This record gives sequence, C-alpha cells and structure tokens, in this order.
Amino acid sequence: MADVMNVGVNLEAFSQAINAIQALRSSVTRVFDSLKDGMKNKETLEGREKVFTTEFQDNLQAVNRDLNELERLSNLVGRPSESHPLHNSGLLSLDPVQDKTPLYSQLLQAYKWSNKLQYHAGLASSLLNQQSLKRSANQMGASAKRRPKVQPSTLVLPPQYVDDVITRIGRMFPDMTIELFRPNGTSAVLLVTLGKVLKAIVVMRSLFIDRTIVRAFNENLYAEDGKLDIWSKSNHQVFQKVTDHATTALLHYQLPQMPDVVVRSFMTWLRSYIKLFQTPCQRCGRYLQDGLPPTWRDFRTLEAFHDSCRQ
Amino acid sequence: MEAPPVTVMPVTGGTINMMEYLLQGSVLDQSLDSLLHRLRGLCDNMEPESFADHETVYLLKGQQGNPFLLRARRSLAHPTAPWHLRYLGQPEVGDKSRHALVRNCVDVAASHSLPDFLNEMGFRMDHEFVARGHVFRKGALKVVVSKLFRVLVPGNTENTEPLSLSYLVELSVLAPAGQDTVSEDMRGFAEQLKPLVHLEKIDPKRHM
Amino acid sequence: MGVTCVCQVPVAEGKSVQQTVDMLHRKLEQLGAVKQGNFCVDCETYHAAGNISGQPPKFLYVMHNTETPLSCLALFEGGPYLTADANFDVLMVKLKSHFQNAKGHKVESRGARYQYCDFLIKVGTVTMSSSARGISVEVEYCACVVPGDCWNLMKEFMHSFLGPNIPELPSIFTTKPEGLYAPVDSTDTMIQYLELFSKVRKQQVVPGSSVR
Repeated sequence: MADVMNVGVNLEAFSQAINAIQALRSSVTRVFDSLKDGMKNKETLEGREKVFTTEFQDNLQAVNRDLNELERLSNLVGRPSESHPLHNSGLLSLDPVQDKTPLYSQLLQAYKWSNKLQYHAGLASSLLNQQSLKRSANQMGASAKRRPKVQPSTLVLPPQYVDDVITRIGRMFPDMTIELFRPNGTSAVLLVTLGKVLKAIVVMRSLFIDRTIVRAFNENLYAEDGKLDIWSKSNHQVFQKVTDHATTALLHYQLPQMPDVVVRSFMTWLRSYIKLFQTPCQRCGRYLQDGLPPTWRDFRTLEAFHDSCRQ
Repeated sequence: MEAPPVTVMPVTGGTINMMEYLLQGSVLDQSLDSLLHRLRGLCDNMEPESFADHETVYLLKGQQGNPFLLRARRSLAHPTAPWHLRYLGQPEVGDKSRHALVRNCVDVAASHSLPDFLNEMGFRMDHEFVARGHVFRKGALKVVVSKLFRVLVPGNTENTEPLSLSYLVELSVLAPAGQDTVSEDMRGFAEQLKPLVHLEKIDPKRHM
Repeated sequence: MGVTCVCQVPVAEGKSVQQTVDMLHRKLEQLGAVKQGNFCVDCETYHAAGNISGQPPKFLYVMHNTETPLSCLALFEGGPYLTADANFDVLMVKLKSHFQNAKGHKVESRGARYQYCDFLIKVGTVTMSSSARGISVEVEYCACVVPGDCWNLMKEFMHSFLGPNIPELPSIFTTKPEGLYAPVDSTDTMIQYLELFSKVRKQQVVPGSSVR
C-alpha cells in the first residue's frame, strides 16, 4: 500500500497548484465584477473611460499571470502512474475516509483471492490433464503438450494480443466474418456473421468468452440508441434454442491456460451452423421436430441433432 | 377479355381530397440571409433544415384532354430515403375572397423503382431540376425557401447551373377540402414577412 | 421477412370450400399452431385506357396486404414493381381517365393467420365478385432468408398438414438471377399471390360455392 502513496505525485506542488487555482478564480471573478459595475461616476466622460480601461487591463494581466503560474505548477505535479496493477482503481487508496468506505482494502483482497484462485485452478487443470477425462480431454492433452504455459495466465491481456488472436481466427473461416468492437473500455465484443444464416454477438472479457447471443441474419443488432444490443434475445425460437446451446458450448470448451484455443474451438463449433436449415437430424433423419430444425451440434463431431434426439 | 366497367371508388386506403393552399414569392440572393433570419424567429423552434432535392416532372399524354402531370422528387442528401411522388390538380377557380391558391394534392411515398414504373405506365419525362434550400415550419404552415438549378446534362445532378439570381419562397398548408380558414392564417403569416418578401396568390396558368 | 411460399390447395372431393378450409384449420390446430387473428390480401386490376390497337392490353395491378397495412404494391406482370404508401390508391382515382379500374376483376384472399414456432401460416378463401374460387395457403418461415437453404425444411412442414398437395419451389425464387435471397419488402410474397390470383381468375366457378 505504501508505494501507492508515492505514485510520482509531488504533494508539495499539488498544494501550491491548488492555491494557484484559487488565485486564478478570484482574479477571473474580479474581471467580471469590474465589467459588471461598468464605468463608475467620474467627472468627465474621458476620465470614466480611461479609469475603466486601465482597470480592465490590470485585471486581465492578473488573470494571465495566475494562469501562467498554474501552468508552471501543473508541470511539477507530475502524472499519476498508469502502470499500476489495479489501473485507475488503485486511486481508491487516495480516498481519505478509509473507515467509511473500505473499498480499497476489499478490492485488494478480492484481487489476491482471484489471483490465488487462478493459480490453484491452473494447478488443478494441469493435474487433471494427466488423467484422460471424457469431456474435451483429447484437445486439452494434445495442445497442452505442444505449448506448455506460454500464454500469460492472468485476466489482463493486452488488447493488441486479443485483436491478433481474433483476426487470425477470422482468417481461418472464409464464410464467417468477425467484427471486433470495444464499446466500453478494453473488453471486446465480437459480431460474428455466419453466411446468410445467423449473427452472433460474443462478449469477451480479455480472451475469455463471457456471454453469447445468437440472432437471425436479418434481425436487428442495434438497440434504439444505436448501440450494439447485447441483451435482448432473438424473436425466433430456433435462434433462442441455438443461443442456449451456444451458452452450453461456452461451459464445455474451457481451458484456462490457453484461452485462444477455447475461442478457436468455439468458433469452429459455431461455424457448423452454416447448414442449420439444410441438414436433417443425424438420428431421426427428419428436418423438423416440434417445428424446430436440428439445433444441437455435437461438440466433438459437429453432427446435427434435434435437441431431444441427442443422447 | 371483356372491357371491365369503370368504377367509382376503388380506394382501400389513403387520405382522400387533400388540398394544398399556396402562396408564392421570391427574394434576391443578397436578401436571403435577412429572410432566413426572420423566419428563424417566426417559426417553430427547431433546427433549420436544409435540403437538396432532384425533381423530375413526368407527363402522360392521353387521347383527349390535358396531359396528366406527376412530380417525382428524391433527396440528394439522403439517397436511401423513399421517393416522393406528387400529383397537383388544377387550381380551383372561385371566389376572390380566398387569399391563397387552392389545388388538389396527392402525396405518395414510393420505392426507388419509381422512374422505371412510371415509364412502364406510359409517363415520359418532361423536364427536371434541382432545388436546394431550407424548410421551416410553424404549426401546419410550411415555408420553403429554395433556389432552383437547371440540370445541364439529363440525369446528372452534379452538373447544374442556377436558374436565376433569386430564391423561390413558398408558403403552403395541406388541409382537407373546405377548410378555408387556413388561408386566413397564411395571410397573417405572409403579412409578418413583409417587406422582406411579398407572398402572393399566383395562378400558374397565367404564366404558361 | 423470411422465406414465403404461396400455393393453391384443391378443394377436397365432395366438400365445399369452407369445409376444406375448416379441415385445414383443424389440422393446424392439432399440430399445435395458434390462431393469431385474420389476414387479407387483395388485388385491384387496372387497364390502360386508349391502348394502341394491335397491342395486347396492359394490366396494372395494385395489391394490399394486411401484413403491411400502410403500404401497397403496384406492379405489372413481370415487373417493374413499386412499393408505395396507401395514397397510391388515391392517385389511381385521379388517373382514372388513363387507367380504368376493372371492378369485376377484384380478387382477394381472406382468412385466418396461424403461428407455429417460427412458421406463419395463412389459410385464405380466394373470392372474386363475391364468389369463392379456391383456397390459398401461405407459409412463411421467418427465421431464414435464403429460400434454397430452408426449402426442404418447409416442404416437410407443409407435408405435415397439406399431405400430398405440397407445391414446388416457387418460380419466383428459381428464376431470380441475383441469388436466392428474400428481400425485406414482401414483393416475393405478393408476386406469388398475383400468380395464384390470375390462375384463379381463369378458372371456372366452382358450382355451389358462394362465400360462407
């Protein structure tokens, strides 16, 4: 916590700068005061004008002087460090009323806790990898051996890296276009257009997929305020069902150490919907069941099944 | 196929019998700013709206009677907006007490296939022009201040030259037939624009 | 707008038009479709006055659909098509010296609108000069925009309540050069209705089939 206090802020200069701001404000007030009062009663008209002009000039010079002083001080103050591990939330420690709002200490605890969780989860995952489990075990085993722990394992990844991974995945599938948006800060939102079949909105938290929603190709993607609508569900039952399955897929494809593999596997799986309306169910051989086409895609073989026809 | 009988009213939708009440005038280019200034003060508080429209006038010649005239307008500023097709009837002859020109008016919004469609109906293009200017509103009153441009190469709206050194000023209201009180409002409004512009009841037939 | 198919369903043997329509309603309800109000598609015919002799008469059709209540579609057979607002009807009145309304040729299809999952089904009685001429069935699959993609799926669905009377892929989709993509306006649907109406117009009146 101690190093938070001296994040390159010159406290002496700070208090001087505050004084300078006060001085500037009062000199500006004086300008307007004198303008407001106008020309005061003097014997002659010239006399009045002369006094008024000199007074006005003096006031403006005072403003100028104070402004220069403030600019000089502001250079001394220095910038708060941007490389703090907690980003701007680190500034919470500057809040003097610690007792009332213990936000900062809680934040630190949460951060430590989440780091620890990440670490333990990593250990557990590497242990589990040695066992051949049924769920998505084969993918894990193979790729984990090739590139052991090269990816940074924290939640914070540079946006540039995320961009790269997404562009590379986008290039793998010609019938799929991926657009990347950053509507709020660094977290990315992907708009995936699959042929003329569907559009999916994928909300990312660095490289982890947080949430996804699938809508029809011709459905509205933007809310009334012109922003990407990441909440409302599709009007069509098919795509509500596909959204449910996609959420299941997010839970299935999990590999904390190699988030890019997860995104790639998810996209490969999502791409199998390109023939959503053209493929009959692999079990019952029909297109429709309860009015819906086969909406389920097997995680391994990508075969199409009706929701009730899968095992 | 036997000749089917002509009917009276096949109308399923739409608003029938709307009238346009119109007063016209013009100002020289140099007095445009003071007129706009005045209008901004008089009209409803809104952002002044400018427009650039391309209007094509189509004629359908029958065997007897006057040719049928339709005006098709499209916005150059908003190319995706629908086209505007307008029919204007003959000015109503009638009592001198009315302060504005009154004529039947039908406005139709249409898709971009309009030129092709009119062509297929037998309409032929008569002339075209580009109008650029500003629109103001005050309640139901509409004020259009626009400059007309001649289109030098048919169909090319980039290549135009101004028709005159003045701006056309039109004050109009759309109302159902028989609501002659609107012409009183119009006269009142036109009075307030004097002497910047004199808006008058102009019969287009006299100028033909 | 999804992919739409409009077809004519023959009147069942020994049944009236109304009885056949009721039977279709029952089948749809058994499937689990829910009735959602009514619909109406109509078509006015105009013919150009003063045609140059020797040329075949040219017909202009103006169609309305309750699915898009504020607009209408004006078209010539084979195009061009014009989508306009309802004031176009008023304009046609003004044009009556050039285009005459063939009142006796007004055809409309009226009936119930059903929803089943992402399908919209409209079963209508086609009437002309107040006599029932046949049955139209419109099936729209709202979730898909490419007719070629979902045609097999739609066929399977139509089979489930129309039995063997399922139609071929509407020619409007097969003849279109610019790929198989359904436009946002309902032009494709209306053209299919127009084809059905002209077929019905030429057909003989079914004996004993006045409306309801």
